[in-house]
Amino acid sequence: MDNVLKSAEMRKSVGKSLLYTLPMFLITFIFMTGGKPNFSDPSATLALVITFGLVNILYFMMHFTGRTDRYRAVLFIIFALSLSFTLIRNMLEMRHSMSFSQADLLECKIPFCHLVIPMMILPAAFTKSIIFPGSIINGFASISSMVVLWLVATIVLGRGFCSWGCFYGGWDDGFSRIKKRPVLRKINDLWRWMPFAVLLMVALTAAMTLMPTYCSWICPFKAVTEFEQITSVESVAKAGVFLSLFGGLVVVLPVITRKRTQCSFLCPMGALNTLSNKVTPFTVKIDKKVCTECFKCVDICPLFAISREDVKKGDISLFCSKCGKCVDGCSKKAIHFGIKGIPAGSMKNFSRNLFLFVSFLFLAVFSSGPIMNTLHNLFKLIF
Amino acid sequence: MTDSLILGLSSGSACLATCGMVMFPYLMSGSAGVKRIALDLSLFLLTRFIVYFLLATAAWYFGQGLFSNQIVRNIVPGILYVVFAVLLVWYSLSKSRKPDCPAKIVKTVNNRRLVPVLLGVVNSLGFCPALLLILTKGATQLTLVQSYLAFLAFFIGSSLWFLPLPLAGRVKKKEVLKNIGILATGLAGIIFMIKGLTNIIGGIING
Amino acid sequence: MKKIKLIAGICWAFAALILIVVLFPALNGLSASFSKLPFMKLNPRYTGGEVVTRTVESACTLDIRKPVFTGFFKERKSGFVQVDWRGTLPEIINDSIDYDHDGRKDFRIIINRKESKSNLVALKTNVKDISVSTPTSYGWAVRVNLNK
Repeated sequence: MDNVLKSAEMRKSVGKSLLYTLPMFLITFIFMTGGKPNFSDPSATLALVITFGLVNILYFMMHFTGRTDRYRAVLFIIFALSLSFTLIRNMLEMRHSMSFSQADLLECKIPFCHLVIPMMILPAAFTKSIIFPGSIINGFASISSMVVLWLVATIVLGRGFCSWGCFYGGWDDGFSRIKKRPVLRKINDLWRWMPFAVLLMVALTAAMTLMPTYCSWICPFKAVTEFEQITSVESVAKAGVFLSLFGGLVVVLPVITRKRTQCSFLCPMGALNTLSNKVTPFTVKIDKKVCTECFKCVDICPLFAISREDVKKGDISLFCSKCGKCVDGCSKKAIHFGIKGIPAGSMKNFSRNLFLFVSFLFLAVFSSGPIMNTLHNLFKLIF
Repeated sequence: MTDSLILGLSSGSACLATCGMVMFPYLMSGSAGVKRIALDLSLFLLTRFIVYFLLATAAWYFGQGLFSNQIVRNIVPGILYVVFAVLLVWYSLSKSRKPDCPAKIVKTVNNRRLVPVLLGVVNSLGFCPALLLILTKGATQLTLVQSYLAFLAFFIGSSLWFLPLPLAGRVKKKEVLKNIGILATGLAGIIFMIKGLTNIIGGIING
Repeated sequence: MKKIKLIAGICWAFAALILIVVLFPALNGLSASFSKLPFMKLNPRYTGGEVVTRTVESACTLDIRKPVFTGFFKERKSGFVQVDWRGTLPEIINDSIDYDHDGRKDFRIIINRKESKSNLVALKTNVKDISVSTPTSYGWAVRVNLNK
């Protein structure tokens, strides 16, 4: 069993870090190659090598430096960018446009994303059907596979899905790191309950209209993926809403506040994942024996998951996405990844190692597809 | 009916947060058990239902007289929707929002049996932006039945929040529910603002 | 009690580890199983409803689907019927459709594919207007709004 380290450092030696990276090395190799490595295409092989190298180097660095967030964020942001690139490229190739047409809707060819899930639940229960024009089982981003992926990830990671799985979160995570200091500091605590209000509204409106209303009207990421063809006043209004929300909540506000404002103030999926934080075995704990109540973690947290009251109680709220920013930022190393049932301050290394393996493995494998695809297409363009 | 239900659901939570906190002590006063509180609550809701029924009727007849012209039927309610929706959004976000509502007046009543009935009347006649919106909607319906249905949906939506009241003592995190309700009210306001603008644009185009 | 919680927590954490390791290799199988659940079918508002009548005329097939009035609690008063043309289509499509199979035509659709213009002639009062008329990968699809 691990005890509280005297220096409270998570760093490991090169040898030990390599040892911890080895299982990740092997598993990611198998998953990325599908168990059947094929090196016939040079650009695909190069893409595979770079992606494989990237994820394992980042994982190695997490162990070697003892820091989590900055390395997680690198992969998380690259994931978001590469997914948008992959989607946009596919659409331009197939349809010569970023917009989907009436025909795509009628033929149920719209790729599914996990943000639809909160709106699906009530109609699925009452009408026994899915209110989305996508594919149930076949094709890219089928409904069944995305729901299974999300379900398992959210049970295992809880709201950690928002920092280790969501392929949109990297956008506002990235923009929130641009400025060194926030311009806007004081934000009313009431706003962090907004995603729940949005969840309530979109769930109800989707149930009543049998239409995924969040996707139709207020998803900011339509600006960087695909949206309805502009053929009417309504579709112009929708495009305006998407662009405004993306500009405001994903770009401008994260830059000036250094917070992930889209995730904190709008995303209904974040609200749903917050509830699953009750189920996950992993958590973030505050060791009250070491904590000096400097409240630096309150300012650092990008998702408003820690308040001064939380620090005083030694308890981090359900909003925590386990991104590791507070863990890295605490000068006394009083905050650490933990496992439920293990007291705060105990078995820090063990808890961190186990959590990192689980969460990073998910992120690495989930993101590898879009990243390899993006690199492959870039190399085909260049060479 | 969808938007009426949503309006009721979102405003009912804010209503509960304010009026409910006045009602609750009355419901819990004396040696009231869950059964007694449930009876009082039923009286309260029945009174609200009757008042809303009367309001639906009055609103529709008033609307018939005022909104005879098709264009006026679109544009005027559209403007009213926008105005009341703005009020609803302001109401949800305003820091000066009072923590109590006209329900306080029942503190002056001595007869305990009358309290739920009076609370029902006062609560349903509290002209908050949500009620103003539903009155506008009722006034613009084509038939009286449609006006009744709109008010019914509003009544159901707002009443759902009062149903757990007998068990309120056991409900933790009331503050959380109150915050979510207040924000949901603001969102409902935005929905009605869009509806109002759509009506205005539709009225202008058709006119 | 504390020891039980500790052991339970560690066991659950290792179970989570196994779940994640198994997730990706087993994804296809899990998705296939999940797709068999009763609610895992697309709502007819999106699929257009099941095909009720298929008429083959030389190289062109006409599919008339079941009218869709699906609502949340119960059926709605307004809905639509989708009609598909597949195969090699003429430049002008001119068909009379009997969607309720009562022996009487309900509406006529005239589509000028070249100019992407569609006209509807309603032969019954419950037929309203065209909701969607679009070329598709298989031919052409039209949705006509109906009242019940």
